[in-house]
Amino acid sequence: MAARGNSPRRWAQAVTVNLLSGRDLIWYIFGVLSILSILTHELSRHSVHAAGADFEGFDFEEDESDDERDHTFTILPPSPPVTTQSHTPESHHGPPKPSDPVTKPSKIEEEWDEDEFEGFSTQIHDDLEDEVNSSTEGSASETPNLDSSIEKKQKKSFPGSYPLEILCVSFLVAFAVNFFTGKKENERIALAWVAKFAGKDAIFEKNFSLLGTGDGMNTPLLLKEGQDVFKFYASGRRYCQRLLATLELKNRHDLISKIVDLVLPKEETITFEVVMNDDAMENIVFAMGKKKLAKSMHKEEFDLQRYAGLMTNAPHGRKWVPEELLVVSESKEIAGDMLNDAVLDQVFGEKAYQKFGKWFISMHFSDQHYGSQKKVLKFKFIIPNQNDMGDMTRLVALVPYYIDLVGRYKLSSQARTKTVASRTKAAQEAYREMQNARQEELQKRKAEKKRLADEASVKLSAEAMRKREEKDRARQMKKGAPKVKMLRSH
Amino acid sequence: MKDTSSSSSNSSADPRQPSTARPYVPPRVSPQDLPMDYSGFLAMLFAVSGVMFRYKICSWIAMIFCAQSLANMKNIENDLKQISMAMMFAIMGVVTNYFGPARPSATKR
Repeated sequence: MAARGNSPRRWAQAVTVNLLSGRDLIWYIFGVLSILSILTHELSRHSVHAAGADFEGFDFEEDESDDERDHTFTILPPSPPVTTQSHTPESHHGPPKPSDPVTKPSKIEEEWDEDEFEGFSTQIHDDLEDEVNSSTEGSASETPNLDSSIEKKQKKSFPGSYPLEILCVSFLVAFAVNFFTGKKENERIALAWVAKFAGKDAIFEKNFSLLGTGDGMNTPLLLKEGQDVFKFYASGRRYCQRLLATLELKNRHDLISKIVDLVLPKEETITFEVVMNDDAMENIVFAMGKKKLAKSMHKEEFDLQRYAGLMTNAPHGRKWVPEELLVVSESKEIAGDMLNDAVLDQVFGEKAYQKFGKWFISMHFSDQHYGSQKKVLKFKFIIPNQNDMGDMTRLVALVPYYIDLVGRYKLSSQARTKTVASRTKAAQEAYREMQNARQEELQKRKAEKKRLADEASVKLSAEAMRKREEKDRARQMKKGAPKVKMLRSH
Repeated sequence: MKDTSSSSSNSSADPRQPSTARPYVPPRVSPQDLPMDYSGFLAMLFAVSGVMFRYKICSWIAMIFCAQSLANMKNIENDLKQISMAMMFAIMGVVTNYFGPARPSATKR
């Protein structure tokens, strides 16, 4: 845990301090380029050797075949026709024709038939034929290829013959370069956000006493969890325990993700999670988002599904959110109180939404949040461009406003009774489920114990049976044996 | 949205409470809950196939996916083991494909 705490701290320090960034970048690039140059150098060296080896192998073959033929020639001095015929394949070896191996044996056969050599000569003839066939076939097939390929290889330079390797290595180099540039870009965006909203005299500075993940004094504000995820932590405010803002940026550091992003764009979001004090939040289950998202939230989120319903009809007689937004709430009263006039005027009303609505994704307040913390407010916004961070000021200002609003909010008695009733019902159901689960576990344990006992008893009974059998045998033996009366004679 | 005066009038005091400030506690995530590392898995797959079947392109693709997995690595302690295994396989594949005995079909180019 300490190690984990330290490594993000180190990363965060690197982010905010930025002292060695320039020098680091140069060293990283230098290292990568040197490794790649060594690799390509090795590859080129080995490729030249491999190409040379091909020629050497061919030369060896030639030499071998020549040697073999020389040997056969030395065996056959008394047969001049053999030598003349064997010379012809050699001469044909230079500029080869594929038809040669076919014609060769027929020529030899004709000459043999004419001269009518038998016995030793036929053996020689067979050997020679095989040799001629194999060598000319092999050489004929290889030499045209190799001749042309020799020429080609000599003409072509190194890069032409390794397209795959060049492509992959260049992709890796591009990947490395993109990693560093993308990392810097992400850090710049995150820092721009922090500077705007958590810097000096900014909104979070005014609202929270402890900012950042360190001890408060001269510690970095942002926590870097991966090249595209940054966390901002704040604590020390009334009504709430803490606030955690997670900036999820695009994967600019990953070239493959960047390419995929061109096809399937991903939004850059910031998620605020505020944990409220236990005594500061009433029984509220409320959510709002764009229609499709709200519906999916209602299905997926446990607390929304259980306690809240979709509010399709706006309460009449008052301003309300535009059609694009859908509210999920436990009761209309709560929804109305959460979306009060001030909020509607500033952010969620018809007019204001047109201006600021594009940065808003969703809002979810719950005192029955599924997770370790029960009383949670969640906000999700889109992060605008680095230079336009001011556009989301009003949305970010919603966060402390709602902390105060929810902290001070008191339900009316009717609403409270309803909510309390539904919660107790849910609690009872949960309790019953827990009881059932416990009973099932107990039953399982009992069944297992019983099974073990049965097995043991079976074993025991088997042993008992054996013992009984032994006893029976012993008795029979005793019966069978002559009875010896032991008399005690005193 | 709110100018400072209205927020201060609402709050009537500085909303900050230094006494209640708590330090950050990173949430504990069990390794099973983490989202799956697709690039690491693909890297392993391609690397093993490159070594076994002696396809050069497989080994190169494995290297690329290893690089992506390294770039996306969030938690050094947990992820490094799998990534390093995939990387070793990929490098082994590249080395055996280039500097080892060639595939029989490769000579008939």
